[in-house]
Amino acid sequence: MDINTGLLAIGAALAVGLAALATGWAQGRIGSAGAGALTEKPELFGSILIMLALPETLVILGFAVAAMIILLLGAGG
Amino acid sequence: MLLPMSKVQIVGFKERLEATLRVIQRLGTLQVQDVTEHGQGPMVPRLALDAKAKAQRDEINLLAARLESFANVLVPSIAPTSLPRYYAAATRKNTEELIAEANHLIDALGPKSQELVLRRDGLEAEQTSLIRYQATLRKVLPLAANIPRLAGYEILALLIERRSSAVLESVRQKLGELVGDNFDVNVRHIDEQTTAAIFVFPKERSAEVNALFGQQSISPLRLPQELAGTSLTDTLAAMERRLSEIPEAIKSVEVELRQLGESWWFSVRLLQAEMRDRVAQMEVVGMVGGTRYAFVLVGWMPQRNVEDLKKALAQRVGPEVLVNEFRVSREEMKQAPVALANPPVVRPFEFLVALTALPRYGALDPTPLMAFFMPLFFGLILADIAYGLVLLLLATLTLRYCRKRLYRSLAQIMLLCGFWSILFGIIFGEFLGTLGHRLFHLEPLWMERSGATVKPLFLFAVALGAAHVLLGFMLGIWQALRVKGRKELSERLGKFIALIAVFWLAAVLAGTLPRDLTTPGIVALIIGIVLLSIPMGWLGGILAPLETLGIVSNVLSYLRLAAIGLSSFYLAEVANELYGVATNVAVGTIIACLLHALNLAIGIVSATIASLRLHYVEFFPKFFESGGVSFRPFKETEV
Repeated sequence: MDINTGLLAIGAALAVGLAALATGWAQGRIGSAGAGALTEKPELFGSILIMLALPETLVILGFAVAAMIILLLGAGG
Repeated sequence: MLLPMSKVQIVGFKERLEATLRVIQRLGTLQVQDVTEHGQGPMVPRLALDAKAKAQRDEINLLAARLESFANVLVPSIAPTSLPRYYAAATRKNTEELIAEANHLIDALGPKSQELVLRRDGLEAEQTSLIRYQATLRKVLPLAANIPRLAGYEILALLIERRSSAVLESVRQKLGELVGDNFDVNVRHIDEQTTAAIFVFPKERSAEVNALFGQQSISPLRLPQELAGTSLTDTLAAMERRLSEIPEAIKSVEVELRQLGESWWFSVRLLQAEMRDRVAQMEVVGMVGGTRYAFVLVGWMPQRNVEDLKKALAQRVGPEVLVNEFRVSREEMKQAPVALANPPVVRPFEFLVALTALPRYGALDPTPLMAFFMPLFFGLILADIAYGLVLLLLATLTLRYCRKRLYRSLAQIMLLCGFWSILFGIIFGEFLGTLGHRLFHLEPLWMERSGATVKPLFLFAVALGAAHVLLGFMLGIWQALRVKGRKELSERLGKFIALIAVFWLAAVLAGTLPRDLTTPGIVALIIGIVLLSIPMGWLGGILAPLETLGIVSNVLSYLRLAAIGLSSFYLAEVANELYGVATNVAVGTIIACLLHALNLAIGIVSATIASLRLHYVEFFPKFFESGGVSFRPFKETEV
């Protein structure tokens, strides 16, 4: 494995890892607020589920970038 | 689909209102609307219950509460599940008959059931206290064997922790100061933790001695009154005798309660249901309009039930009660309550749609689309024959043994998800990861979800997402054309064209389409952005390109179908590898089974959440118009 491949792997890992951290942080905050809201208004379950799922896009986009790094650049390298 | 609704007005003589409400409630197809909120025709004031009706309502409520207390102690005489059938078939009484029947039942049932319940409670309380006494007396007995219960003297026994036994000496001294030599104390350490003591003292000093114990925070054991005057040995024997009699006595009370239940439970439950329904009828009167001689009732009901209501009212109340269907404007129709009516296979998904919001009346019901795409997405994520089979098994067992509607709906959804998981499992050749390949050479129909072959999987996920999102836009465009919403049409058409253009250009860049097609792609993108920017006003020039990026990210979001699926596949592989690493076959099997079970559990949760999210966040906003109010017909309570 040459150094370029290693750097590509680190880049891909950072793309998905940092996005996952951001998603986790956002979901943690939404989750705690949502749990509080649910005790008061259980009928908000659907809306809170949507809000909780929204930040997941971040990690999926991070994953898309990581996949592109590996599949496109990796294959080219 | 949404059930087509009609707005109806029912007019009749006031004295027929009770009978009319009874018929409407029995049919259970009309949602009564407050007459003053109805915008058409002359304003009619609301009817109010007269003093007699109010008194009857209060009396029914009171009688219902009393009946409830009796009914709770009765043992059901038939299976409670068959009660609704009987209630539906029973004829209804008028209010006076209802009150008379309730009073009759309370008179016939009340004294006997109260007496039985009191007797049973008393026996149970006696049993509990005797068991407590017995345990303590057994410990005290060696100390106090054959102490006679002397007339004029009281005996107090107590058990205290051994380490606190020094307090007994102080009690003895104070007792001496209180009653002189006229007392006796016997103390013995029973075991390593407990010390027992017996105090005998004149009965007339009982209050002072008890106060003394109170000051020392000691609670002596008091024997039941009926055992006074006997020795402790005799007391213990009497207690054992009584304890052996009590279960029989309780059983005989239970038999009597069962007999009482067989005679009355059925009548009580039916009468309670009818009383609840009568009170509900009286509450509805407050929404009905009235003149001096007539009542006017307005409400919404499914179009298909209007004729049935007309016939039922004509037959059971009389031809003079009129039912008119209103001509309702498009704007007012938006206020109509929403009832979903889908085929049985789609119906379980209705509650998943309602988790966010109900569609507005007249809008498109997304339930059938969700019933197709949600299990498909789930199956694409889980994609394993074995996991799918487990899901099918769990769903079948739930449908076989569970009666709760929610669980049955979930099981029906799980059945479809299991089916798609098996189908995609066959396509990807997965049976507990690659175990199927190793054990019985299972080959994928299309491709494996691993290594270098994941690129087509990503492309497939994105293509599926693009198709799903474009379908959403097409439905949105159709919806906008139907309601002649120009802004919505321009926005949705713009997004639709822009999305196609972006993928067109991506295909050109990837070399899938020839370079000559770049210009048409750019032109289409510009047309899309322009159309999208029109409803946004002067900010459109900035916001429309950003919106276009948002739509692309919507489509990329479908990558999760591949990403979560891959993680599930690799966890299954870890389970299989751990089996190979373990030195002992049994240990390896247990570890692999546990990991596969964990993978299945995680897979079910994450696949469900991801598929739901793709619908709620990516798909619905393209066409879904929320804001519907659930249809709540005025109907009899479920027994």
